[in-house]
Formats: sequence, structure tokens, C-alpha cells
Amino acid sequence: MFGQLFIKECRQTAKSLIFWLIVLGLVLDFSTQLGGMEIMSAPVEGQEEYGYHASTDEDVIIESALGALAEEYCRKNYTTYPIGFYKSVTLSKEEDRRIGEIIREASGLDGREEVEQTVDDWYAEQEQGETPMTSGGCRLEPAEGLTYERFIELMEEADDILGGGSKYGDGYRESNAQVPMTYEEALEEYQLLIENDRLSGGYARLFSDYMVIFLGILPVFLAATRGLRDRRAGMQELIYTRKASSLIIVSSRYLAMLAMLVIPVLALSVIPLMQCVRFGNSAGVSVDMLAFVKYTFGWLVPTIMIVLAVGMFLTELTDTAAAVLVQGAWWFISVFSGVNTLGGGMYGWNLVPRHNTELNWRGYHDGFSQLAANRIFYAVLALALVIFTAFIYSQKRKGRFVIRGKILADRKNKLKA
Amino acid sequence: MERYWQIEKTNLKHNVPLHVLVCALVLGISPFLVGTANLEAQDTAKVLEMYTAFIGIIMLTPIFLPEQPREIRELTGSKYMKSSTVYLIRLVGNSLILAVFLALYIAVLRHNHCEFPIIRYFLGTYVEMLFMGGLGVFCYGLCDNLIIGYMIPIFYYIIAMGSGSKFLKLFYPFSMAAGSYTEKYVLVIGGVLLTAWGIALRCRRK
Repeated sequence: MFGQLFIKECRQTAKSLIFWLIVLGLVLDFSTQLGGMEIMSAPVEGQEEYGYHASTDEDVIIESALGALAEEYCRKNYTTYPIGFYKSVTLSKEEDRRIGEIIREASGLDGREEVEQTVDDWYAEQEQGETPMTSGGCRLEPAEGLTYERFIELMEEADDILGGGSKYGDGYRESNAQVPMTYEEALEEYQLLIENDRLSGGYARLFSDYMVIFLGILPVFLAATRGLRDRRAGMQELIYTRKASSLIIVSSRYLAMLAMLVIPVLALSVIPLMQCVRFGNSAGVSVDMLAFVKYTFGWLVPTIMIVLAVGMFLTELTDTAAAVLVQGAWWFISVFSGVNTLGGGMYGWNLVPRHNTELNWRGYHDGFSQLAANRIFYAVLALALVIFTAFIYSQKRKGRFVIRGKILADRKNKLKA
Repeated sequence: MERYWQIEKTNLKHNVPLHVLVCALVLGISPFLVGTANLEAQDTAKVLEMYTAFIGIIMLTPIFLPEQPREIRELTGSKYMKSSTVYLIRLVGNSLILAVFLALYIAVLRHNHCEFPIIRYFLGTYVEMLFMGGLGVFCYGLCDNLIIGYMIPIFYYIIAMGSGSKFLKLFYPFSMAAGSYTEKYVLVIGGVLLTAWGIALRCRRK
């Protein structure tokens, strides 16, 4: 029964215009973002620069965070990115006074004038080449005796005052402390790509990073269309009378849509895999042939699962296209809140985990448990929503829960009865 | 005129409230998500173009929704008043609601000390709303499917966010933030044409 329904649903999906529009969307996404991708070569000694990377040195983190805070304190204006969008924050007198106290405790500078003078002096020294060049603005020496723990507490407080998403919050503090990479560091990063990721692993992450943006929204269109199709075709009542259980009907639809969406993703992944293989053959690197499959199932499938499940659940519940609006809002917030985590390693609970580089294996490795928890959580939540959908479907078969966009419709039905 | 007003009243009573609510919600939560105070002109343009204009898709796309069931479409088709007139009245009504939303939002930005040319930014953002909504109306009319009507403009929006003006050229919707207004003229023409074409396609469908 399940197998027959599954195949029937796959056929239905393959005939759906929306499915092919989604495939077109994925192809366009791939060609615009990864179409011109070139496999990275090893860094050469003597290059002008090797880029920047976030320092893990506590002194650098303290100096860059204090420098940024001092500059913004002087301007009386703070920049935050609560969901990735620029937000300009102006503080009240009381909050401004507290930031001044935080700077005084952390750097020993007392009052706006002294802070302004120190920042001006720092820039003057930079111009004269007396201090080493840095990326990301002013650096400020901490006060004597300031421990890293106390510094973290003070910065967290500053971030709270600013409403979150500032340069002083967890994660951003560290990523803000940018220092130039040396040749050795750049080579080590490249070696990690070649040895630990076996080349294709890094590119599979980059592939997942681009595809997950579209897969965070597009599947909901397929789920909503499928959910509304029976009623639109006047087949709903006919299907209700069939022998198959609600769980089998709903799960076969769900798995069919899931399978049909995974196929084009896997097909597209063959292109970068081939590029990796060609490069690997010429450079003598043993490429991981299954890397793209692993990342597709580990990284992308949980996102497809939850988006499809939200689409099915809300469409079945409301008999409207409300799922598109809800998922649209969730996607919007997820994508923009991930803007500050593009470098990878900071996956959190984002529906759309980002890692916009083939490098940074270490960040991926360090954040792996969080990423795994994130992916498992969404996969489990998706399955729970599918079970709820099946429950609603079974209730509708019994004549209950007929809402059709009106919240109180079911209550009216009961009253009539 | 009285009949037209009756059509719009029915629209306001039965079709619009949910969409107005969603738009109000989207704009209402914006201070928690994006900056709405002390912004420079370029940052104000970003907020208006990348965030506020999104409600154009929500308000304009579903103008054919009440006639979605075939039996209702057949019934309305048998009436003396042309379907195209009904759609146009709804379109004008929804566009005015969008204009009111945008004007209120711009007033709030101004009140919060954002520095920007009001009329220019109002028109630029409104044009973008009409284009994205018009794209939705066209796709809905073409495919007779509201979901596709939502999907294509959202897709257009994602492409614009992801690729910048590289692929969209003169159809790039966030040009004000980049300091260019030329694209807005293309968008207004495109928006009107797409909407008209969408309504024509819908009227031909029996």
C-alpha cells in the first residue's frame, strides 16, 4: 500500500509545474552562485597578502572589542545587526553613562574626552606607521588587572544594553578580532582542506551553504500546492473514503516530495564533485567521492524536511496558503540572522546554517556538535509535524476540523451538530 | 460609482483583512529586526527596499483569490459587470492600502530622525511594491495558482538579495540603496504591464 502510494505521489510531483519551477530555481541558484567556482590552489610564499582570519588570542579579542566600543561611544551611536540588517542604536543618558563606566573599568579611560583623545592618538600613530596595521578599526589596551572573564561579563552587559547583535556579543566579539594571516597559517588552512576534508568536503560545505538558502523556502510551495490540490480538484471527499490510513497517505506524500526534492540537489552536486575529482587527479589528492552525498543528507535534508512539514501541517490545518507566509517569515529571519555567521563554525539553531567558505575546517569541526544537534532537532520536529498533519487529516476524514481559513468554522460545525 | 464602492467594500470586508493584518504585523515587528531610527539616507533606502517593499507581494498577489473555486468564477462570469472591472477595483483598493502603509512607515522613520528625501524614497519603494506585486498578479493569472503567484516574486527577491544587480540589471529592485534611481522607471513600467497582462490572462480563463 505505502509503496504504491509513494510511487503515485512521486509521479504526481513530477507532473507538477511547481516542482519544475523549484528545480529551475535550484539550477539558477547553483549557476549564479557556484557556476564560476574554481578549485583553490595552494598559497604561494611571498604573496602580498593571505587574507585575514579571526584571532583566538584573548589579548587581540579584548583590544579590538574595546577599540570598537570606544569609537562608538565617542560617536554616541552604535551599530548592531540583530537579524543581519543594519540597525543604528542611540542610547538614553542612563545607558550612555553605563557604557562609559564599562569603558572606564575595562580600559582605565575616564570620560568621553579622554576616550576621544586616545582613539585620535591611535589613528594618528597608524597613519605614521608607529603601530602595526590592523583590520577593523581602533585597538585599545585593557586596564591593568582586567581578567578575560570580567571582560566577557562587561561586553555581554554592553551587548544587552544595545539590544543584542552588537560587536560585543558572544561570537561576534571573536569574529571581529581580525588579524592578517601569515603564509604558514594560510598553508595550514589549505592543508586542512586537502587532508581532513579531502578537498571535496570543503566544497560540499560551500555547496550546502548556497543551496540551503533556497531550500529554506522553496519546498513550502510544493507542500502547500500538494495540500490544496485535492480540494481544488474536488477529490478530497473521494480520497477520504479510501481504505489507506491517514498516516500512510500523509507520510507517502511527505516522503515522495522529500525524495523528489533531494534528487535535483544530488544531481547538481555532481558538477562540483567532478571539478574536485579533476583537480584531485592533477594534484594527487584523494578526493572523498561521497562527501556531497553526506553533506546533502546531513546538512540539507533536515532543512527540506522541516520546511515541507511546516507547509503540509499549516496547509492541512487551515486549507489556505498561510504556510507560505509563515515559512516566508521564518526564512527571512533565518537568512538575515545568519549574515554574521557566514564564515562558518557558528551554526546555532538557525534553520539555514551558513558556512560560506571551502576553508575553516577547524570552525566546522569545533561547531560540529552544535550543527548535529541543530540538524537532528529539525528532523525530529519535522517528523512530529508530519504525525500532527496525519492526525488533522484523520479528523477531517471524520468530518471534524474543517476550518477552510476560518478559525471558528469548526466550532460552528459542532454547534450545528 | 456606487456599485464600484460596493465591490470595494466587499473586498475590504471579506478578502483584505487577513492580508492587512499580515502586512501590519510585518511592519509592526520591524523595529525589532531592522534599524528604524537615526538612519542615513542609504541605510533608510535599504530598510525600505529590502524590508518594507516585501508587503507588495502580500497585498497585491491575491486579487483573484475570491474567484479561485471554479463554480464561483462561473457565477461571477455570468454577471453583468466584467471580471476585469472587479479585479481593477480590488487592485486599486489594495494599492491604496499599500500607499497608506508606506506613508505611515515613512512618517515613523522620519519621526525617528532618519535622514532621507521623503517623496523620492516613497515613490521608489512604492514602485518596487507594485512591480513585485505585479509579478505575483501576472504569475497567478498565468498559472491560475496563488502559490506560484507568491513563489515567483519571492524567488525574484532572493535572486536580488543573493546576486545584486549582476543578473537583474535594470530590473534590480534595491537600486536606491546603491544610489541609482534609473531602475525605478523600468520597474514602474514593468509593474503596470505585468499587472495588466496578469488580469487579461485571468479574464480569458474560463
